Amino acid sequence: MEPVLEQALNLPLLLEQLRGEDGLALLLLQLFPLFLVVELPLTLVVVLGVLRWWIREQTLPPRRSLYRPRVSCLITCYSEGADVRKTLETLCEQTYPGEIELIPVVDGAAANQHTLAAVRGFELREEWRRTRRVRPIAKWQRGGRVSSLNAGLSMSTGSIVMALDGDTSFDNTMVSAMVRHFEDPNVPAVAGSLRIRNTWTSLATALQAVEYLISIQMAKTGLSEWNLVNNISGAFGAFRREIIEQLGGWDTHSAEDLDITLRIKSYFGRHRQLRIPFEPRAIGHTDGPTSMVGLLKQRLRWDGDLLFLYARKHSGSIAPRLMGWPNFLMTVISGLFIQVVLPFIIVGYTAITAITLPWPTVLALSVLVYVVYLVVLSLQFLLMLLLVSERPQQDVRLIPILPLFPIAMLLIRCWSAVAILNELWRRSHEESSMAPWWVLRRATRF
Amino acid sequence: MARLGWVSLSPALAPPGSVEGLELNTFPSLEALLEQPQGCDVVVLDGPPEAMGTAARRLRADHRYQLGLIYTSRAGDPWCAALCDGELPGDGAAIATAWQQWQERQPLFNRGQAPEGVDQSLLCWLWQRPGAAIQPVRDPGHAQIYRYPLVEAITADERLNSDGWLRQKEQENLLEGGDLIDRIRQCPACSSSRLNYVDVCPECHGLDIVRQPSLHCFVCGHVAPQQNFLKGDALVCPNCLSQLRHIGSDYDRPLENYRCRGCGAFFVDADVDVRCLDCCDVNQPNDLRVREIRSFRLSEAGALACRQGLGDNGAIGSYFRRLKLMDRGDFLKALDWQMAIARRYGKSSGSAIAALLGVRIENIEQLFVDVGEARATAMLEGLLERLQQIIRDTDRCMRGREDTLWLLLPHTSARGLDRVRERLQEGLERIQSSAGAAELSLKFVGCVLPEQIQDDENAALMLARLAGDLR
Repeated sequence: MEPVLEQALNLPLLLEQLRGEDGLALLLLQLFPLFLVVELPLTLVVVLGVLRWWIREQTLPPRRSLYRPRVSCLITCYSEGADVRKTLETLCEQTYPGEIELIPVVDGAAANQHTLAAVRGFELREEWRRTRRVRPIAKWQRGGRVSSLNAGLSMSTGSIVMALDGDTSFDNTMVSAMVRHFEDPNVPAVAGSLRIRNTWTSLATALQAVEYLISIQMAKTGLSEWNLVNNISGAFGAFRREIIEQLGGWDTHSAEDLDITLRIKSYFGRHRQLRIPFEPRAIGHTDGPTSMVGLLKQRLRWDGDLLFLYARKHSGSIAPRLMGWPNFLMTVISGLFIQVVLPFIIVGYTAITAITLPWPTVLALSVLVYVVYLVVLSLQFLLMLLLVSERPQQDVRLIPILPLFPIAMLLIRCWSAVAILNELWRRSHEESSMAPWWVLRRATRF
Repeated sequence: MARLGWVSLSPALAPPGSVEGLELNTFPSLEALLEQPQGCDVVVLDGPPEAMGTAARRLRADHRYQLGLIYTSRAGDPWCAALCDGELPGDGAAIATAWQQWQERQPLFNRGQAPEGVDQSLLCWLWQRPGAAIQPVRDPGHAQIYRYPLVEAITADERLNSDGWLRQKEQENLLEGGDLIDRIRQCPACSSSRLNYVDVCPECHGLDIVRQPSLHCFVCGHVAPQQNFLKGDALVCPNCLSQLRHIGSDYDRPLENYRCRGCGAFFVDADVDVRCLDCCDVNQPNDLRVREIRSFRLSEAGALACRQGLGDNGAIGSYFRRLKLMDRGDFLKALDWQMAIARRYGKSSGSAIAALLGVRIENIEQLFVDVGEARATAMLEGLLERLQQIIRDTDRCMRGREDTLWLLLPHTSARGLDRVRERLQEGLERIQSSAGAAELSLKFVGCVLPEQIQDDENAALMLARLAGDLR
């Protein structure tokens, strides 16, 4: 392994060798560190951001504010059943002293009677009545997530609107942590952090728990410092009412969360002072798919939708003129390159390596790649535990899962390639389960 | 031709020009009608519902219109329903028919004597209207919430407690309770139903209690009021200092606690005191008097009494008094006592302890229809006379329903019981031979103590069992 690493650092020698007989094999070998060249800077951006955030958190004096706008929580419910009550209860339990308006929107209520019954049966405790209101909406005909959000928006009265999932429960400091950011008039939206609620149900959920910690809680904390948050999660985001009304609400397609993030971001070029913070202290707990098959199905949807959003729907709006240079580069690198192009490079590289090189070399190379990724992951995890996590004692128990994580990620990345091809050829976003066909049929085609 | 008085209670309402078959007199106000020395036979009130209710009250308080027919021209308020005879039944002919029926029924009351006093007036009002009831009206302004406007109007001069009067007549078996309309709680001190139910501290019965939500920390088990946990925006356990983030996994709300601001006591459930808003008396909910609000109708016995005379001369009550009549409660006590004696000493004494005899006149209603009032009354009187001869001083009687009589005969064996039955039957035959074709048919049921007592039977159960055999 040693000579390979040495060669990688010696560029003139490398080029000379590439012209040699084993050129192709060497090229493939050299391609591998290039991933690190793209991924490492990104990781570095995140780590530096986290450090900056941590230092700021430690040094800032505690804030006391009288800014207490009314918050409307739009809770999209479908077939969650009694789980919705947990969501409503945790929202009522918020320590936020201002008013919170809960608007559970039951989509397809005629078919989802048990969810509707759970929502209607929810009663406010005496001590909540002063500052909490529940105003359920039953949409008898199914219209999809977007229609639920827009219906809820039209019925809501708060100046801050949160889009939340019916199967996500929240820490009791969530609303106050999120609302704090809106005191700055330049904040149009705030992204919240998501954790996996059913961590120990299966190996798949434990792996997702690690993934959420690294790629949401830690990564977004770091990116947020540089105003580079890539997505306001659909299960948990907060918006200033004016901005959503300015945008005309959510738009009919799948991945409405990334869509609205990109639409907000397209103001960044003209209004450079705007920023979308990520709040790592606002935690939502959501249920991840419990089986590997379920997880892959979910990613088939997510990753396919990603290509649809970046390449089809928003191909025009990904421009430095609209988003500003930093966000443009970020979207191109982390969005387009890492999430769309990289899976194909990985699949292609793995395939060619396996075909052209003898298997001991393949094995050795795989071990090397694995070790490198594991080391990077472990460092990230350690940083996350020490600086970002608000539940370090709980998260430390995930360490035994870490050795499996790079393998799972490789699998998921390869799967991304399938998802992207699925979208390219089959326009998979048009068969999304997030909205019924009679809604999608009417949507603008991209 | 009946005189119809049409009272317009609102200047906007014009009375009709004439009513066919009736002598129409129109009055611009109620005063105009009351000033008329010569009363009207039938009165029609025409005006807004509340005005008709008020007018009806005044009319029923006037002795000339206590019993007469009063109609309203349109649907009235509940007071109208309780005091009047309803909306106009139709054209003049319908009113004339109703008036005629009313007139025909009047001489049958109390053997043709005009009603005297409040008791007779009210019974007569019911008598004149078969099937009618004395209806309560809900009046939230009144301390007892429900009032009986008819009783109040007719007894206006005597300041009678209408509820007490109705209950007394029910005990006398002249009235019977109709539909149950409501059940109200009353202050045991002043009978007011204007009560305030307040939750109070169970320790000091102080009023100043507050709900105090409590939290239960899962880490250390600490339970304390929520205020003690709140540190800025976060919930932090004051005992173990761990931050409580998520309900269900870090903490829960186990108790619905109250705290008394007077004595500082903590408690889960507050006591409830009932404060009377009229007399300020404080009671426990269980100590309140429960009153059932019903309408009251003329009972079968009451109807019989109205027909046969309410006074002492020949009143059915006096017949029964001569029969040593007891009310149901006393009779049951006496029977229970006899049954207890029979159970204890019956086996050893060798002689019979007592016997119970039930007599039912099977065809009393039919009899009145078939042979007419006077004949039927005479036959009943004959039967009662016969009964009187048979009954010894030591025997006791009770009326069950209108047509049933129970006799408790101490020291009577099965043979003695048969003897009584035979003698009654003999007397009956004698009455019938003098009365002609009509037949008074009697049905008997008997029970000899202790032989025919069933296990675990008390007086009420025995009466119920025997009454079943009489049907």
